[in-house]
Amino acid sequence: MADDSYARDEENFEEEEVDETSFRAVKDAVLFAIDVSSSMLEPRLSGDTKKPGQESPTSAALKCAYHLMQQRIISNPRDMIGVLLYGTESSKFYDEDGDRGSDVSYPHCHLFTDLDIPSAEEVKELRALAEDEEEAQKILIPSEERVSMANVLFCANQIFTSKAPNFLSRRLFIVTDDDNPHGDNKSLRSAATVRARDLYDLGVNIELFPISRPDHEFDTSKFYDDIIYKTSPSNGEAPAYLQPDTNTATAKGDGISLLNSLLSSINSRSVPRRSLFSNVPLEIGPNFKISVNGYLLLKRQEPARSCYVWLGGETPQIAKGITTLMADDTAQRVEKSEIRKAYKFGGEQVTFTPEELQALRHFGDPVIRVIGFKPLSALPIWANVKHPSFIYPSEEDYVGSTRVFSALQQKLLKDKKMALVWFIPRKNAAPVVAAMIAGEERIDENGVQKVPPGMWIIPLPFADDVRQNPESTLAVSPDPLTDAMREIIGQLQLPKGAYEPQKYPNPALQWHYRILQALALDEDHPGEPEDKTKPKYRQIDKVGSSEKDTSTSCTVILIDSQRAGDYVLAWSDQLDAAFDKMFGGTAATTSTLVKRGPKDSADSAGGPPAKRVKTEGGAGGIDEEVKRCYEKGTVSKLTVAVLKEFLTAQGRSSAGRKADLVDRVEQFFENK
Amino acid sequence: MADKEATVYIVDVGKSMGERRHGRSVTDLEWAMKYVWDRITATVATGRKTATIGVVALRSDETSNELREDTSFSKISVLRNLGQFLMADIRQLREAIKPSQTNKGDAVSSVVVAIQMINTYTKKLKYKRRIVLVTNGTGHMNNEGLDEIQRKIQDDGIELVVLGADFDDPEFGVKEEDKDLHKAENETLLQVLAEGCGGVFGTLEQAISELEIPRIKITKSMPSFKGFLSLGDASKYETALRIPVERYFRTYVAKPPSASSFALRSGGQEENEAGAGQSTSGGEALTTIRTSRTYQINDESAPGGKVDVERDDLAKGYEYGRTAVHISQTDENITTLETFAGMEIIGFVQMNKYDRYLHMSNTNVIIPQKANDKASLALSSLIHALWEQETYAVARLVAKEAKPPIIVLLAPSIEPDYECLIEIALPFAEDVRSYRFPPLDKVVTVSGKIVTEHRNLPTEDLQQAMNDYVDSMELDGEELPIDDSYSPLLHRIDTAVRYRAVYPNEPILEPSEQLTKFAHPDKELVREAKDSLEKLMSTANVKKVPPKTKGRKRLRETEKPLSGLDVDALLKQEPKRTKISAENAIPEFKQMLSRADSIEIIHDAVKQMTSIIETQIKHSLGDANYDRVVEGLGTMREELVDFEEPTLYNDYLAALKGKILGDELGGDRNELWWLIRKSKLGLIDQATSEVSKVTEDEAKEPPEPSGVIHRFRLEVCRIFS
Repeated sequence: MADDSYARDEENFEEEEVDETSFRAVKDAVLFAIDVSSSMLEPRLSGDTKKPGQESPTSAALKCAYHLMQQRIISNPRDMIGVLLYGTESSKFYDEDGDRGSDVSYPHCHLFTDLDIPSAEEVKELRALAEDEEEAQKILIPSEERVSMANVLFCANQIFTSKAPNFLSRRLFIVTDDDNPHGDNKSLRSAATVRARDLYDLGVNIELFPISRPDHEFDTSKFYDDIIYKTSPSNGEAPAYLQPDTNTATAKGDGISLLNSLLSSINSRSVPRRSLFSNVPLEIGPNFKISVNGYLLLKRQEPARSCYVWLGGETPQIAKGITTLMADDTAQRVEKSEIRKAYKFGGEQVTFTPEELQALRHFGDPVIRVIGFKPLSALPIWANVKHPSFIYPSEEDYVGSTRVFSALQQKLLKDKKMALVWFIPRKNAAPVVAAMIAGEERIDENGVQKVPPGMWIIPLPFADDVRQNPESTLAVSPDPLTDAMREIIGQLQLPKGAYEPQKYPNPALQWHYRILQALALDEDHPGEPEDKTKPKYRQIDKVGSSEKDTSTSCTVILIDSQRAGDYVLAWSDQLDAAFDKMFGGTAATTSTLVKRGPKDSADSAGGPPAKRVKTEGGAGGIDEEVKRCYEKGTVSKLTVAVLKEFLTAQGRSSAGRKADLVDRVEQFFENK
Repeated sequence: MADKEATVYIVDVGKSMGERRHGRSVTDLEWAMKYVWDRITATVATGRKTATIGVVALRSDETSNELREDTSFSKISVLRNLGQFLMADIRQLREAIKPSQTNKGDAVSSVVVAIQMINTYTKKLKYKRRIVLVTNGTGHMNNEGLDEIQRKIQDDGIELVVLGADFDDPEFGVKEEDKDLHKAENETLLQVLAEGCGGVFGTLEQAISELEIPRIKITKSMPSFKGFLSLGDASKYETALRIPVERYFRTYVAKPPSASSFALRSGGQEENEAGAGQSTSGGEALTTIRTSRTYQINDESAPGGKVDVERDDLAKGYEYGRTAVHISQTDENITTLETFAGMEIIGFVQMNKYDRYLHMSNTNVIIPQKANDKASLALSSLIHALWEQETYAVARLVAKEAKPPIIVLLAPSIEPDYECLIEIALPFAEDVRSYRFPPLDKVVTVSGKIVTEHRNLPTEDLQQAMNDYVDSMELDGEELPIDDSYSPLLHRIDTAVRYRAVYPNEPILEPSEQLTKFAHPDKELVREAKDSLEKLMSTANVKKVPPKTKGRKRLRETEKPLSGLDVDALLKQEPKRTKISAENAIPEFKQMLSRADSIEIIHDAVKQMTSIIETQIKHSLGDANYDRVVEGLGTMREELVDFEEPTLYNDYLAALKGKILGDELGGDRNELWWLIRKSKLGLIDQATSEVSKVTEDEAKEPPEPSGVIHRFRLEVCRIFS
């Protein structure tokens, strides 16, 4: 079909997770089923006296659902989420018109948020339920009568069937503390197992988030092992069965830690696993292949593109743009099959047939072929062009793949080696030479897997992709100066000396959606953005031995109690000394220290005026000068060069005409 | 900006150039042109107006040059004066370059003609001047005035390159046996000429063999950030530290040349047959494509549920969930985080605690501000301190005001004459997707037991065999072979375009060996590791899954819940489950099939399912039920492949097609048919199911002339969607 060959065509050829074989839509629907019983509503006090608070399992679950909803609006804007409360006094489901209303076909099942891409209104409602107790009390009333699990499961079945038809991934998250809802009642139990089987056959995965009671450990063997299946049949890529997180189940006493471990557990399942490529042969040697699946575990999350909103009606609506292609000469519509690709060359076009174009892209079938091995240390830190792909073995094409993969992974880990591979991830994808390195499993403090075990494929640059180093002057630091810097570095280690991505949300992305949320819900402007990527300036200045400020997770840990700033001052003195020694103090001085009182601005006068623009500080000098002019109202008398230098030094844009620069400088001081 | 260039190619087209020598399949001229075409097309590919080319034919039948009054310049023709070379010139040159009927014409004189051409064209302006002479050195050559010519070449700053077929080159290893004495003299003369003016003299074979090595385009980098690398907040604390730095690319992926879309010119078919290959090299007449955009919104009252809206009624906005949020023009940047340019250190991490796979991007170098020795010294102290302490810095980078911040890793790089920081983007919390996978060094059973011996875990023998194999496949050399690995796609397309430009009727070429050098392990290495590989293979005992069983009905054990409870037995007791209910159709259909003990029951299940599907179609408001229909059909298709009853599906699909295209299912449902095709729910072919009677080609064949559906779909877009 013409459509297909073009969909895969070069320019559209982007790294997207695609399912090449299935007729199903690559979308995910998550329905929370939250148990509302008196024990689930019982607040649990925090054990930590410093952070008093209480949390009932139900409210913790609702908070998680709210959190996930917000998160998915950002990360999976096309995916659906819903919240079904069960065991409630009230019942709510679709009525005959398909709208929701009181309904008794599923008694004590209250569909609070219908399964759909969430609307701003639904976000608000769920937040109110999760946070506002008064509101909550109206709905969160447990029923006297016991709810039938068969009914709950069939209710979920109907929601998935009608709201998320043909989705590749449909998941039911059950949050409960009741490990045996029907006791010995055989008929209720067997009705539930049959309904669970229906869900399995429908392709719905049940994921259980069990909560132990203070006096009772949750035991899945009592009931839930009859309900939950290893994999869903429609989803060949579904994870091999993973245990519910044990720590969640044991987090029984403390409400806050319950919330945290539940959050961590739900977060780790927030997105269904989707493969980037599947069953690609990993050719370890000639004629020795195993099969692996590839995943994108790291990918830059960007805000969704802006769109057009139609304002002509009562409610704003997204307008869908439709592009039509027309021939330039006849202005007639062009069908896709009539499109030819051509290269501009020598003022004309050089053309190939579609078959030839495809042949040009073809370098063989998808493969990860080992060329040889090398010590990991041979992989230079600069040799990188993009994010890596993660691979994990699959038994689908070659039985025994897992054990061979495991042996290779362990060998590479143990001996700190890497494999050099020829990598073609998909049909007609451009081949790359890549480094394949082993990755170790990492577990977080809640016992939840943070980084899976497997191997990573890091595409290497080709000679074409390596730029020449720009010219640079070399002035090698003498030992005393280096030592002074070492002191500073020694003071400012991140916790555990490692970078934890989880601790740094993307401030621009979060702000974008925070503002959208405020606009959508008609809320007040949220004021100051939260930005965890900003350095802890105060701590960098001084070590807070007496300060009780180390609670936030990403603070810098300062090792001794001296002011880190003192080390900076010591370094600066060394720098001046070394500079005088090496360059005789005749060249233009550049104070790398921002200001050190009046003393500093004096020593900047030395440089010849021509070079001043290039030195940062004329340092204190220029800042002072601009400030003086601002106070006198004579900023416009400064030269463009000075204005630009000042603005650049402040991290402000220095583009535009002089009037713009003056405006910006004045704005800078006004906002101070 | 790259320098302006003026290159004159002198091609010897003498009669003797038409001969084939030393067992070559091509004539000397064809051989020489291989080099010349490569150089010319490389220049044309740049598209630069200032990269000019001229071509001179030596020992041509005609004489046409500025100096033709003088007989020593006879049989030299300027085929093309200096200027930008375009496709038309290539075609013209292709026609003009033919072996002549003469062997007269002096190579040295032709160089003088070329000098003259360059002089006239470039005047005294700044140019890269070059003359390339390709010959077999058999003609008559006059050595008069050599000194003067050499001086002129040097004074004008011209680079002279002389390449000869079968010229002796001991360094490269070419020695022509039984060389003609006259030719030997000529070689010496040309060598003296070239080397006496700082030029290059070489043998053609070497030049051609070097064409195999892809040429790398050198791109001059511009700084992507100029500002301060700082520690601490300069505006608040006196102890803040700032170093003025600049940031440049260290790596940046070079993209293959990109193709543009064109439409076949209407009536192109006929022109094509007439062979009107005048405007393109591919023989098809092309016209450029324009795009036009229209906007639509959902409107339930409109036919088709959608209406066109005016561009003027639209505002910029974003989606928040399924809610549209519009942003007024005055607030355009309201969602942009306010940031100011700068690179601020957040803290330091230990090298051995950094996972290399966290690298998210291409890499950059951070160097001190130009001509600022103190900055160099300050940055050097940071680089050395990081290096000595085996530490990286983590920093927040805003490259320009109002750009989103990124977090970067700063790694020290110290070479004997170069120091810098290497900078790489790190992931944010949102960039990490937590997909979970079972451990590889142990197996955790459903009951939570940890098992260390399992078919998915390597035995000690296997681990040992793997260890030995990995050790035996160790690559030589300290470094990764980045410098001699070339982007295969980029160079292949680049070469193909240039080749097609010159030889429009030739088929495309296979990629050169250089490009696929790393596609396979080195043969020698493989031979050495042969024994350990065989050992590994026999120990691993990996079995390929035969394609037939891949899509087979899943093993029964996976259809049981974790407890292993036999749910099928329970299902059998459910009396009502002989009729498939519409609201729970898919599970009940599957369960009915799995219990089926006769073909009649399968037939019955399919019949019930199809009637449910058709009801869904009939009652669908617009496309409301289409996804459910596709899911139902897809499930049916999958199951019937598994049960090896493809004919049941194929027959039904044919019937359904008839009903849909015949508007029997609640009106016009053509869009649904298109959706079914798009979802790959066509006929089950023999590749999918061996027992199918439908061949792969038949299945591909659109069940209807594709144009009808296709056109229809566009109509849908145009009229009511």
